[in-house]
Amino acid sequence: MSGTLNSSTTVGMEGRQATAPMKESCEHQADCLKRIQAILDGGATDEEKEHFKQHIEICKPCIDMYHLEKCIKEALQGKVEKKCCPEKIAAAIRTEITK
Amino acid sequence: MTTMPEIMSDTQLQGYTDEQKYQVFNKEFMPHIDSMYNFAFRLTMDEDDANDLVQDTYLKAFRFISSFEQGTNAKAWLFRILKNSFINDYRKKSKEPAKVDYQDVETTYNSDEAAETEHTTDLRFETVQDMIGDEVASALNSLPVDFRTVIILCDIEGFTYEEMAKILDIPIGTVRSRLHRARNLLKDKLKEYAASMGYNKNDE
Repeated sequence: MSGTLNSSTTVGMEGRQATAPMKESCEHQADCLKRIQAILDGGATDEEKEHFKQHIEICKPCIDMYHLEKCIKEALQGKVEKKCCPEKIAAAIRTEITK
Repeated sequence: MTTMPEIMSDTQLQGYTDEQKYQVFNKEFMPHIDSMYNFAFRLTMDEDDANDLVQDTYLKAFRFISSFEQGTNAKAWLFRILKNSFINDYRKKSKEPAKVDYQDVETTYNSDEAAETEHTTDLRFETVQDMIGDEVASALNSLPVDFRTVIILCDIEGFTYEEMAKILDIPIGTVRSRLHRARNLLKDKLKEYAASMGYNKNDE
């Protein structure tokens, strides 16, 4: 399995509902959260990706965690203002190195 | 100095001519100046300190340019210098409000592994979606600097765990666990913030 999971991966309740019952509580929440973060960061191991795929569609708390983590990451990426370097600083650096 | 071929191979790092130094500097280093400034600003939380930190870092980078291998990750290389300059020169005098000793925080969180398992924020993703950038930024700014740093590097700058490990001089496992703790803290802050602002008023 080398398919990468990206933000377009569908995570929802549709997939497996017919075959497996949805879990309402998760006994490995802390581990699952770490795994979910690694998935979203693009740093998950193959084993973690596999576990995530098996687990994510059948566990309600994990689905919720996934959405929250993804949403926070997107807010940090997209909403928090990125400060730009004042032009005078860039100019001062250019002058300084040619001295 | 002997004439260098126009295209240098990886093994010819050591002897940049002056002209090549400027070329590398302008082509590889300067394009990252806004990211560097943003990082400096988020670390120091002060525009003047950020200006100084970015200048110092770029001048250091120029001075040590011969140890930069062309074709390798310039952004990570620069971020590492900036982070080290911050720790050595700015951290003590930084105007950070509630200064929390990182070791204390890390110890608290480590000793709290059991509680961590129970760490479920009832923060809803819709609440976060409704927040504006400044609200998220102030939650981020309220984190101790080491936790803030990993979130900036990972979520704002998009560095990989491996790059972060190099920038911070810590193992990848530590990067991951620090990020995990940082995010738990951030969620607590976001939740506090949401409560104080009257978000989460309760569902339909």
